[in-house]
Amino acid sequence: MGVTCVCQVPVAEGKSVQQSVDIVHKKLEQLGAVKQGSFWVDCETYHPTGNVSGQPSKLLYVMHNSETPLSCMGLFEGGPCLIADANFDVLMVKLKSHFQNAKAHKVECRGSRYRYCDFLIKVGTVTMSSSARGISVEVEYCPCVVPGECWNLTKEFMQSFLGPSVPELPSVFAAKPEGLFAPSDCVDTMTQYLELFNKLRKMQMPGSNVR
Amino acid sequence: MEAPPVTSMPVTGGAVNMMEYLLQGSVLDQALESLLHRLRGLCDNMDPETFTDHELVYLLKGQQGNPFILRARRSLSHPTSPWHLRYLGQPEVGDKSRHALVRNCVDVAASHSLPEFLNEMGFRMDHEFTANGHIFRKGVMKIVVSKLSRILVPGNTENTERLSLSYLVELSGLAPAGQDTVSEDMRSFAEQLKPLVHLEKIDPSKQRH
Repeated sequence: MGVTCVCQVPVAEGKSVQQSVDIVHKKLEQLGAVKQGSFWVDCETYHPTGNVSGQPSKLLYVMHNSETPLSCMGLFEGGPCLIADANFDVLMVKLKSHFQNAKAHKVECRGSRYRYCDFLIKVGTVTMSSSARGISVEVEYCPCVVPGECWNLTKEFMQSFLGPSVPELPSVFAAKPEGLFAPSDCVDTMTQYLELFNKLRKMQMPGSNVR
Repeated sequence: MEAPPVTSMPVTGGAVNMMEYLLQGSVLDQALESLLHRLRGLCDNMDPETFTDHELVYLLKGQQGNPFILRARRSLSHPTSPWHLRYLGQPEVGDKSRHALVRNCVDVAASHSLPEFLNEMGFRMDHEFTANGHIFRKGVMKIVVSKLSRILVPGNTENTERLSLSYLVELSGLAPAGQDTVSEDMRSFAEQLKPLVHLEKIDPSKQRH
């Protein structure tokens, strides 16, 4: 597990989501990246049913990542995160009277996985209730776990195929008490996906082929 | 760097339902050595394994019905190992000829942020204790001989007080729902431990809560 950056790529002017994804794939292939299978990331939302003294209920997100197929991650936005094994999903089924699964809010991101030297690039289509909401790009620099030591390199690499859509340093790294030099882990990756999914969830659905 | 195997559908809840079969008994401290000696002879050949664990029992009070109980356990002798979170369902009633207590069981390995995460979910710690003792295996069965201790100051596992002058002996087996063969193995194994220890089916719901 290296340092990952997850960002959104806007749908190209006058093109569909699928066409924009193909444009990114083409740029990666031109660079010399090699396609290596596919990936998926998903996120389910649970509402606590108990009334916690009038406070707004904290949503529980349960996420999965194909890079770690035997694991399951539980996250509270801005709160503690849990890394557990796949049986955590079975436990959530047992807890269904206390935590309701908002099935309509399930978000999935699927796409192709590319490898370019020490980088892993995943270009995915984010869907909610089978409608495409946007495009995500995840870039992972595998040899390093400290964001402060490889952010500049990662940003430069991203510029070579994303052009002007390159994001700033993900806030999840800057927000840590030890800052950029704290080692990164899968919770940082999933937090970034969660932020992206929540942002796309709130956006209005783009028209199918018309921009 | 190769992509991990990706199934076309993500593996979600609804995986195999595991059932735990349990028989319990106890021995006084003075009888421990004889029991361990018998177990070493009967069980699978392995290095003697001792353990020291800290278990916290969490409750989630719902709007109605009984609170939901989860047991979080960590090893004090292997502090970097993951936490073990366990859900145990109500004992299955009906078949009186069943020799062991049978209940649904879900085991989850979790990271060290577990206590904080459970609190955020709304769980509150009801009680905690430490257990130390020996563990043996015979095929799929597990035999645990443990001394339970009360924690005097919450969170401080150094300062404990033994709960009794005996050791708890538990014989358990896990099997997928529907497969009852482990129950018979457990019954015959329990016979071999008599008269050192009498292992029986003890229904936790009949205990004082």
